[in-house]
Amino acid sequence: MSRRQVRTAPAGSAAAGWVLSLPALVAVAALLVVPIGQAVYYSMTDWNGITSTWVGPSAYTTLFSDPTFLRVLENNGLLLLAVPVVIGVPLGIAFLLHEQIWGWKFFRSAVFLPTAISWVVIGLIAVRFYALHGILNSLLAHVGLGFVKTNMLGSTHQALAAIGITLVWSQLGSNTIIFITGMAALDPALAEAARVDGAHGPRIYWSIIMPQMMRFIQFAFIITVLTAFTAIFSLIFVMTGGGPNFGSTTLDFCVYQQAFGQSAFGTGALLGVLLFVLVGAVSVIQVRLLRSKV
Amino acid sequence: MTTELGIAENDLVAASARAGGQPRPPARFRPARVIMFAIMVVVAVIMLYPFLFMLLTSFRTEAQYQLGSGFSLASWRELFASQPVLRELLNSLIVSAAAVTIIVVIATAAGFAFAKIRYRARGVVFVLVVACMFVPLPSIVIPEYINVSKFGILDSYWGAIVVYAALGIPFSIFLMTTYFRSVPDELIEAAAIDGVSNLSMWWRLGVPLARPAMFTIAVLQFIQIWNDLLVALLFLQNPSDQTVQVGMALLSSGRVASVPALMASSVLSVIPPIIVYVLFQKHLVRGITMGMGK
Repeated sequence: MSRRQVRTAPAGSAAAGWVLSLPALVAVAALLVVPIGQAVYYSMTDWNGITSTWVGPSAYTTLFSDPTFLRVLENNGLLLLAVPVVIGVPLGIAFLLHEQIWGWKFFRSAVFLPTAISWVVIGLIAVRFYALHGILNSLLAHVGLGFVKTNMLGSTHQALAAIGITLVWSQLGSNTIIFITGMAALDPALAEAARVDGAHGPRIYWSIIMPQMMRFIQFAFIITVLTAFTAIFSLIFVMTGGGPNFGSTTLDFCVYQQAFGQSAFGTGALLGVLLFVLVGAVSVIQVRLLRSKV
Repeated sequence: MTTELGIAENDLVAASARAGGQPRPPARFRPARVIMFAIMVVVAVIMLYPFLFMLLTSFRTEAQYQLGSGFSLASWRELFASQPVLRELLNSLIVSAAAVTIIVVIATAAGFAFAKIRYRARGVVFVLVVACMFVPLPSIVIPEYINVSKFGILDSYWGAIVVYAALGIPFSIFLMTTYFRSVPDELIEAAAIDGVSNLSMWWRLGVPLARPAMFTIAVLQFIQIWNDLLVALLFLQNPSDQTVQVGMALLSSGRVASVPALMASSVLSVIPPIIVYVLFQKHLVRGITMGMGK
């Protein structure tokens, strides 16, 4: 399907090409590529901000036997449980909006709104939602469940769930938009043909529309995983500070905590490198999947 | 038109055709549509209630907030008296505007070079630059902090501006290159035959043509940078340079934070991105969905 560029600008244009792309190359090399190299080096040192000693690759093996670190990894894994929800619910919403029910434009804007709001503000509101005298408990009281007094942010095991739920809420909009775009681009003839053959609503959605939506689902999947793994530092900072007892610390937050909280710059850098590898692996797998499908 | 990397443009054209397009045939089964509408009402309440809560709470005193009734402007007065919130908003604006400008200029230049000028190593440079969009901020934040502090610009706006620009450049270049590839080569060739040099071709043809993509990039990056906490927290060491996100995050972690004052600050902080969101929703949507070419 790809359109090769048959004709291009005339020869002798090389200089202009370099001049125009050099600022980008320099910025990216100096501010993104070199720091990754530095991070790998720092990750093998024991460095408290003043004195630095070389540890070598054993820094990695040491870390993997640290129960706190394993806890953090486990938290990252648990956060992935939010992903099916962040895909499934927006698929449903996109389906409803695609049917152009009354007021769908308003609903679309409402769902999309959190995309413009900072994690800090979302977190600040979420804290009041989960608080002991907060919205969640008063909701529970209203439906006669007042005896279930929750304090999710104060509980080692529930704090991460509270963050996960907030993450779901904040990401519904962008994934819904991806899916609406996908549904609008579908070939209506296919669904029509199925209808003529006697298929109905749910069956059409499942057998005709869903397969065509796969690449949009994959795209939403990777964006969601990347967000959950690399972008919710501020949410954790505001909601729990990583606690209680590392209960809601993820890799993303742990980098900050180690380096700028505990002055363990070497460990922080190491966690960052692991995150980079993790993200790289997810991205490569994703690109492979896309290539093979499209 | 399809690009080598992307499918997004097709989808977008279809999506916009749909948005303004013909009404769908009336649904056969009415009750189903009522249920669908009801579901969306619930979804809209869940999405919008937090913002209503924020707004209402900001107009209460701490006591009124506990009680859940009554209104007052006291918390707004308290916010302006206790926090340099206007200064913080100005700082956010300066840093975001500067970083966005740098990103747009660099991306427009490089995007044109990658799409329209043929020179050696173009492919390699393009892949290197664009691949950097997968470098997660937490992975490089420690080396970046060390480097920036060595340059002695932690106590100015520049540290944060440079880091934001670097983080925004890869994805913006990807969008811009995709956009320029959709511009017919004939346009460029006509100018080339007239003997215009490549650089002035970029300036006189490319830049005016790229306006829609520049806009999309600016909207996307502005919202992202305005809403960021981590970079601002670390790279703006001068208290008078603090952004509004940092102000709120630090205020909330203090022991004496008044919830209504925090909410008032939140209201102020979401106004600029919401204005951008309301005015340029289309650009934001395009920015998110164009990433699907990945």
